[in-house]
Amino acid sequence: MMRVLLEVKPRKKPLLPIEAECITPASFLEERDLTVWKGNRELMLSNVFNVSVTGEVDSVDGVEVVLRGETSRIKRVGEYMEGGRIIIEDDIGMHCGNFMSGGRIEVHGNAAAWLGREMRGGEIICHGDAGDYCASGYRGEKRGMRGGRVEVCGNAGDFAGEHLSGGSLIIHGDAGDFPGVEMRGGEIMIFGDCTRACGNMTGGRCHVFGTVHEMLPTFRNMGEVVHEDTGQVLTAFRGDVANRGKGNLFVGNYQYME
Amino acid sequence: MSELLVKNAYVIDPVNGINGEVMDIAIRDQWIVEEVGSGAMVIDAKGQLTLPGGIDSHTHICGTKVNFGRYMSPEDMRAGRMPRRGSMHATSGYSVPTTYGNTYRYSTMGYTTLLEGAMAPLEARHTHEEFTHTPLQDTMANTLFDGNWAIMEAVRDGDMRRVAAITAWTLSAVKGFAIKLTNPGGTEAWGWGEDVTCIHDQIPHFEVTPAEIITAMITANEMLNLPHSVHLHCNNLGKPGNYTCTLDTFDLARDLNKNRQTLYATHVQFHSYGGSSWKDICSKSEEITRSLNSKPHIVFDMGQVLFGRTTTMTADGPMEFNLYRLHHNKWSNHDVELETGAGIIPVLYRRSNLVNSIMWAIGLELALLTDDPWQCCLSTDSPNGAPFVRYPEIIAMLMSRRYREEEMSSVHPGTEHRVPLPAIDRELDWEEIAIMTRAAQAKALGLIDIGKGHLAPGAEADIAIYPIQIRDVDPSVDYMKVKEAFATTAYTIKRGRVVARQGDCVVDGINSTIWVDPQVPPEYDISNDPEFVKKFDRYYTVRMRNYPVQDVYLERQVCLRPEVSL
Ligand SMILES: [Zn+2]
Repeated sequence: MMRVLLEVKPRKKPLLPIEAECITPASFLEERDLTVWKGNRELMLSNVFNVSVTGEVDSVDGVEVVLRGETSRIKRVGEYMEGGRIIIEDDIGMHCGNFMSGGRIEVHGNAAAWLGREMRGGEIICHGDAGDYCASGYRGEKRGMRGGRVEVCGNAGDFAGEHLSGGSLIIHGDAGDFPGVEMRGGEIMIFGDCTRACGNMTGGRCHVFGTVHEMLPTFRNMGEVVHEDTGQVLTAFRGDVANRGKGNLFVGNYQYME
Repeated sequence: MSELLVKNAYVIDPVNGINGEVMDIAIRDQWIVEEVGSGAMVIDAKGQLTLPGGIDSHTHICGTKVNFGRYMSPEDMRAGRMPRRGSMHATSGYSVPTTYGNTYRYSTMGYTTLLEGAMAPLEARHTHEEFTHTPLQDTMANTLFDGNWAIMEAVRDGDMRRVAAITAWTLSAVKGFAIKLTNPGGTEAWGWGEDVTCIHDQIPHFEVTPAEIITAMITANEMLNLPHSVHLHCNNLGKPGNYTCTLDTFDLARDLNKNRQTLYATHVQFHSYGGSSWKDICSKSEEITRSLNSKPHIVFDMGQVLFGRTTTMTADGPMEFNLYRLHHNKWSNHDVELETGAGIIPVLYRRSNLVNSIMWAIGLELALLTDDPWQCCLSTDSPNGAPFVRYPEIIAMLMSRRYREEEMSSVHPGTEHRVPLPAIDRELDWEEIAIMTRAAQAKALGLIDIGKGHLAPGAEADIAIYPIQIRDVDPSVDYMKVKEAFATTAYTIKRGRVVARQGDCVVDGINSTIWVDPQVPPEYDISNDPEFVKKFDRYYTVRMRNYPVQDVYLERQVCLRPEVSL
C-alpha cells in the first residue's frame, strides 16, 4: 500500500484555480515530475502541495492519494483515473473524476460543477453537495456518464446527469433544475425534490422520491406503481414524448406548472 | 523594396506549360520578376516540388453560417486545440476551426487564395470581418442569389437587363466576387412550406422555375462580364436518383465565354446518385462525367467525402432539414429575409455505412473519369465532405490505385457492386494534381489575369514548396509520402514573403479581399429604380443606405471593375 498525502500550501490568491489533472493514483507509481497549471503558468506539483509519500506498491490499486487543505479550486483531480483511491478531506474544484474508468474518489466536503463528467466506470462518493452538471456530458457532448456510480449525499445542482447514457447517479438530497435532461440510458435516483425532471429523455430510468415541481407535460402518465425497495407508491411516466423518447420516470409527487 | 530568389525549384506551372523543370524564381516585392539583384535573400528549394500557391475554389471558412457551426458544436472546438506559438494565435476547432485555425492550416498546406462558397448578401459584413482575420490567404466571396425576390420577379418578367442590374448593384454593395446559386428557388419554396425536386418545378408566389433562374443568371453573368461564371449548387442535393436532375441542369449551360467556363457546378459528388431510395442508391459518376466530358464549358469541383466526423453547412435549408431527419442530432436553420437561407448539422461519415461508402467512391470517380483535369477542381466542399486538412489523402488516392484498393477493402462490402471505382485504373500525375489544386481554380475564377495560379514574371509571388523530390517517388506505391508532402510545405510564400515554414506560420500577414464592381451605366443603377427601392424599404429590415458594406470592413482590397454590356 502506498499513501500519498498532498497538503495545499498557503496560497496568496486561493481563489485562482489550479488545473491538476496529474493528480491520479497512477501518476505516483512512476518516477516523474508532476506539474500543474495556474492560468498560463506551469508549476511543479510541489510548488502547490507539500507532497509526502509513504509505502511502496507495484499496482495502482494499492495507491491512496489524500488531498488536504483548501482544495475547492483544485480542478480535474482524478481525470482519466483507472484505479486506486483518492480521498479529498474538504471541498474539491470543478471536473473531479472527468472520464474516470476505475477506482474510487471520496469527497468529504462539497464538489464543484462537473463531478464525474463523462465518467466510464469506478465510483465517486460525495458526502456534501455536488455542483451543476454532476455526471453529465460537457458542452456539446451527446453522452454524459456511461458507466460507474456517483453518489451524492447532499444536494446536487442543476442539470445533474445531463446526457446520462449509463451507470447510476444517486442523489440523497434535492436536485436542481433539469436533472436527467437528454438522458438516454443509465439510472438516476433522487431522494429529494427537483424541477423539470428528464426533459427530452429518450431512454434510461429516473426515480424522484420527492416532488417534481414544474413537471413537464410531455410525459405520458402510466399509472401508479409500488417501488420494490422502499415500498413507496410512485407515479410512472414515459417520455419525453416530445422527443419520441422511451424513458421511464417515476415520481413521488408532481406539480405541473400553473 | 524586398527581393527574394527561390533557387533550384522543381517547378510545375500548368498555366505556363511548365511541367517539371528545375529553375530559379525571382521575386521583387509581391511580384514574380525576370531577375533580381545579387543582394536578394535566397531560398534553396533543393529540387523540391514547387507549385503556384494553392487555390480553393469552394470552401466554407467565414461568415454567419460558419460561425453558427462553431458555436453549435463546442465539442468540435475542443477537437483541434493548438496553443499560441511564435507569431501564431491559439486556435481551436477541427471541422469548423477558428479563423486563425483555417488560415494557418491552409497556409501550411501551401494554400494562398480561398473562395468562400456562400455569403448571404445581407450578412456580408460578418464574412468580411472574418476574412480580415484570415490573414494568410487572399479571399473572395460567392454571393447568394438563389432566392432573391427582386431577381426572381425580374426573371418572371423576362427582363434580363434588370436581372443584371440587380446583380451588379448587390455584388458591388456587399463586396462579393461571384454569383452563387444554391438550390435555386428551392430554399425560398421551402420557406413557403413547399419544395422543388428539380429544375422545372414552380417556385410558389414567384412563378419562376429553377431552370429559368439558372439560365437568367448565366445570361446576366455574361452581360456583366464577371471574372467567374455562375457558381451553381444544383437542386435536389443528396437524394437518390438526383443525377438526372444534374444532367438536365448541365444541359442548360451554353458555351458563352471564350476565356473560361460558363457554368461552375460545385460539389458534384452530392448530385451524382442513382437509384430510387436509400436502399438502392448507386453511383452515376459515369453518366455525369460523360456529360461533363462533352461540355468543356462546364467546370466542377468534386465535393469529396472522407470518413470521419465533420459539419455540414449550406444555404440549402431544406436539404439540411432532410439530413436532420436522418440523423436526429442537433440542427440549425436560418432564413435570410428576401435572399436565401441556411442550415447546419454535424455528421459522421462511416466506412461501415453503405451510403457513406458510395459517396466516398463517387467523389474519386468524378475526378478519375473526367478526361480534362482543367474541368475538375479538387474539393471536399470543406467542411461538408470533410475538413480541408484532409486534401492530401484525396491527392494520394487519385495518384495511387493501390491506395484506393486498400481503402476500398475496408468500406462497406456492398459498395463495390454499386460503384465503378474498383474498375478504374487511372492514376493522376503530378501535373494533373497541380492543375486540380491551383491552375484550374485560377482559370475558373478568372484570376490568372491578376496574377494568380501561375509563376511567370508578372504573377503574384504566391508559391508552395513541398518537401518531396518527385523524381525519386513513385506515387502509386509511395502514396504515404505523397500524402505527407502535401500536408506540410517546406515553404509557403505569399505575396513575396515566406509566411509558413515546415508547419509553422511565421508572419501575421494581411488578407486581401478580391471583389467586383461591374461598371454599370447610370441608367441601369438599380438603386435609383423606384420599384426596387419601394420593395426594399417595404420588405427588408434594414434601410437601403445601411445595406452596403463600407470600405472599413476590408483590410486590403483588390476591386475588379469589369466593363458591362447591357
Ligand atoms: Zn459549399
